[in-house]
Amino acid sequence: MDDMEKRLVVCFSSVLPGLSSDQITHASASTVENWDSVTTVTLMAVVEEEFGVTIVEEFPARFDSFQNILSYLQESVT
Amino acid sequence: MKLVEALDVVKRTSQRPSEPFTCFLAAGFNLLHLNTFLTAELSLVFADRNIRLRSGLYGDLLGNLNRLATTGADAGIVLLEWADIDARLGLRSSVTWSPATCADIVDTVRERISQIQCAIERASARIPVVVSFPTLPLPPASFVPGWQASSIETELNTITQAAWSQIMRQPQVRILSPQRLDMASPLRARLNVESELLAGFPYHLSHASVLANLLAQLTRYPMPKKGLITDLDDTLWRGILGEVGVEGLSWDLDHHTQMHAFYQRFLGALSSEGVLLAIASKNEPALVEVALGRKDLALSPEAFFPLEVSWGRKSEAVARILTAWNVGPDSVVFIDDSPLELAEVRAAHPEIECIQFPTKDSSGIYEVVLQLRDLFGKSAILEEDPIRTQSIRRSSAMAKAYKADNSASVGFLEQLEPEISLNFSKSPVDPRGLELVNKTNQFNLNGKRFTEAGWLNYLRQPESFLAMASYKDKFGPLGKIAVIAGREHGNELRVDSWVMSCRAFSRRIEHTCLQKLFHRFDADVIRFDFGETERNGPIREFLTELLGRAPVPGCTISRQLFESRPQFIQEP
Repeated sequence: MDDMEKRLVVCFSSVLPGLSSDQITHASASTVENWDSVTTVTLMAVVEEEFGVTIVEEFPARFDSFQNILSYLQESVT
Repeated sequence: MKLVEALDVVKRTSQRPSEPFTCFLAAGFNLLHLNTFLTAELSLVFADRNIRLRSGLYGDLLGNLNRLATTGADAGIVLLEWADIDARLGLRSSVTWSPATCADIVDTVRERISQIQCAIERASARIPVVVSFPTLPLPPASFVPGWQASSIETELNTITQAAWSQIMRQPQVRILSPQRLDMASPLRARLNVESELLAGFPYHLSHASVLANLLAQLTRYPMPKKGLITDLDDTLWRGILGEVGVEGLSWDLDHHTQMHAFYQRFLGALSSEGVLLAIASKNEPALVEVALGRKDLALSPEAFFPLEVSWGRKSEAVARILTAWNVGPDSVVFIDDSPLELAEVRAAHPEIECIQFPTKDSSGIYEVVLQLRDLFGKSAILEEDPIRTQSIRRSSAMAKAYKADNSASVGFLEQLEPEISLNFSKSPVDPRGLELVNKTNQFNLNGKRFTEAGWLNYLRQPESFLAMASYKDKFGPLGKIAVIAGREHGNELRVDSWVMSCRAFSRRIEHTCLQKLFHRFDADVIRFDFGETERNGPIREFLTELLGRAPVPGCTISRQLFESRPQFIQEP
């Protein structure tokens, strides 16, 4: 697990407490019961704050799983 | 605070087993992350309470404001933004701006602000309410360039300022300082356009964090420090008195030492607000007396009591000052330019707030004064405040005379020609009552504190009573110095709270209070909800003397027993 992935796990654990690291890396809106629209917006804010990125308006639709967000960050953060 | 930190605080504190503190947040926008920040900040400010934040419906500012009065919350927080007062001032509206629209917006805002004002006033009769002005910039609705003040901007600000100045006169309303918010959160960095459009949450996280921090502090009933002990050399004035002499000291523009005058002026202001001031200085007392007599000093030397000037340890001087004031070290701030002296005082009195005076750093001095304003800030000046220093000075003199005349203590007190009056009025609510209950430690029946809403609810109970004791003697008034709150239960009075200011000790006021309670309510028995605390030794001693044994929770004294003890009865 690289540094970016570790930091993203911390973000997820703040917004979705109770999930293990392994559960977090496999988490998605369809597999985590209490992942709702507020969770998505909060995750976006926490990720923006942690990684200093601005998430583009078109992206929220894809902001639905740990792996999707990780991919987005890997593309966006140099 | 970052959002991730706020989430962690909320997670850590949400399950703590403590009494709930419920806040109702009335706003028109989606509160989203502000909810998280505010819950976290309130959890830190109210460290012994379990925070519950409730809010109303999205987009229904007036409805939420009207709900405020009936929610049963401990406090209300009102957050106003222009778009919630008139949607045409927000990003989500599709109305085109024109001079005619702007005129109509001004009319609408005037009407809505009037409704908001009424709702806040109604709510504040039941619970304390804190209010935040619109914090976001107005949109470019006017035709003038951005650097020119437009008529709509000016008129809207005039309408709201007029309303706020009326609202803030309500005793239970506190308004967030726009100046402090401006200092902590630049206007340019507040509006988050994307978030507003995506989620209806109009703030950048940094702004939400600052706003939540300030609102949480504003929600707590102010518990200001009571006393300030200051050093003299290179603190109250520039220069070492023993080296440069009285005329060599300075606090003026000519010597580039004006910030010492600024500090003096601020101490003068604190003194007039009832803050106790004292001096702890390593100096020659005779020289200090002359220096304090200089006509250009920006505050009266009478503001300081006591003056501890010697070559002994500062910690010992501080201990003597605390004894003279009869206040706990956690209520006191010590200021000195020497890190060594600060360390020595801190080691001996760890609860004292020690602040280094940054001599030769004018900006630093300004910052220290801002810090002191926060530490000593209060919402209102009460009639007791300006007479506090004088009464402490008199109490000290009286204690010395009392010791010298200990063979006839009651006789001595009679010579003072004391007048003790009890006011039993519950309405209008006198803020002094709650202030005394929440800040008194030593003569305190059980150490129980009340929130503002809790206090109002208590007094609203028909069986409850409130007795506020005032004292004066031939040397002058002490003001309102004791509070007894309880409930009538048949022929029994149940005292739930009983506090008395330490300034009023040794005057047998507590004896007279009981006598007057028995008489007023024609009660047969008084029951005390006594609870031992770390610091309530004085009331424990009094009750032990009264009852003939150590007090326990629910202990009682009968009128018959009370009146059989002549030492407790004061002649009318």
